[in-house]
Amino acid sequence: MSDTNLQLHPLRALIAILALGWLTACAAPFDPDERLSVDVPTRAAVADVPLIQQEAFYCGPTSIAMVMQWSGHDVTQADIAALAFSPGAGGTYLADMIGSARRKGQLAVEVNNFDTLLGEVSAGHPVIVFQNLGLGIAPVWHYGVVTGYDLQKDAVYLNSGQLDQMVMPFALFERTWRRGDFWGLVVLPPDDLPATAPETAVLNAAAALERVEQFQAAETLYETGATRWPDNWLWQFGLGNARYAQGDLRGARRALLRARAIAPDIPEIQTNLTHVQSLM
Amino acid sequence: MGLFNMTKTGVAIALSAQLVLATTAVTMAQAEMLGTDLAISKYAQHQDRTFLMNELQRDDIRAEIVRLGVDPAEAEARLAALTDAEVASIMVQMEKDNAGADVVGTLFTIFVILLVTDILCLTRIFNFTRCVR
Repeated sequence: MSDTNLQLHPLRALIAILALGWLTACAAPFDPDERLSVDVPTRAAVADVPLIQQEAFYCGPTSIAMVMQWSGHDVTQADIAALAFSPGAGGTYLADMIGSARRKGQLAVEVNNFDTLLGEVSAGHPVIVFQNLGLGIAPVWHYGVVTGYDLQKDAVYLNSGQLDQMVMPFALFERTWRRGDFWGLVVLPPDDLPATAPETAVLNAAAALERVEQFQAAETLYETGATRWPDNWLWQFGLGNARYAQGDLRGARRALLRARAIAPDIPEIQTNLTHVQSLM
Repeated sequence: MGLFNMTKTGVAIALSAQLVLATTAVTMAQAEMLGTDLAISKYAQHQDRTFLMNELQRDDIRAEIVRLGVDPAEAEARLAALTDAEVASIMVQMEKDNAGADVVGTLFTIFVILLVTDILCLTRIFNFTRCVR
């Protein structure tokens, strides 16, 4: 009697889970009209993102390596792992993904919803996404790279640490991404701006490159930002500082003079300009 | 009376001396380049501005990173690459991961559940499963 009960119990639980699963599986197909507040093409694909077979637990470093190889850099998953992987945790923390990309001189900006994810992919930029491929109670954390999507075919295409491309229906992709709090990362060379990132996010990414002493990359990013947002003096200010840090006093002065022309009343510009001129 | 006047003069001298010194100190403090990130946080930053982490908290996290098998010098370099808010996100993630470690022991049940949820398109664990919809 009690034996039968013991045997029935897990079975009942399984049936309950099955039923629950069906309910949620059928309840919410991905509706682009409802989930997107911007217009994106029906389909888009980023060409030439390499597929790299990840080593155990290296999905994070592998994702960054794939994106950096796509943009023409010679880096391996082991190179990135040395800067980002935490052996005791068996994984890579989100912040270390950002930090390692910066230490490689890359522009790293987060995306956090479908608007920006699909916006970047349709602008030709692969996006690293943080997923829980398992469940809340049994998480299987994973990083993959979204390289394309097709709303009509209901497919999200990922380079996911294996030699085969991974294809996920939108609803499944959304579930796995939602469990990762919709965390995504665009990693680009500093002369290529993300299509969707707000100006302040890019400015911060540039200042972060200065912080890790990637002054050449910071200089390029400030120049690129100054072209896109010519009315904001902070780009010229940062450009001045990045050039100063590389010993380019003349270039620094040119940039700071331009900053002052845009915003004559900012004391910080005057201070740095005075300092640079005192050394010339 | 004379004593009072002398005191007043003394106070006046002391005060003006202090004023001159303070002005010099400010001028001296400005005799170096002001950082871009400071200017951004003053003029452009809207989010994260309230987030200030003290050195002690950063020390705790550094120790935790080293405990996870990262070389101390490398841990230092990683923290240097991050803003306070980003460092805080590492802390949150570390706590989350500890919570996840309790599931060990129910592995087989979990395996069966994940197999089923894979087939139901709720998860994507196994390569051999096909999502039915």
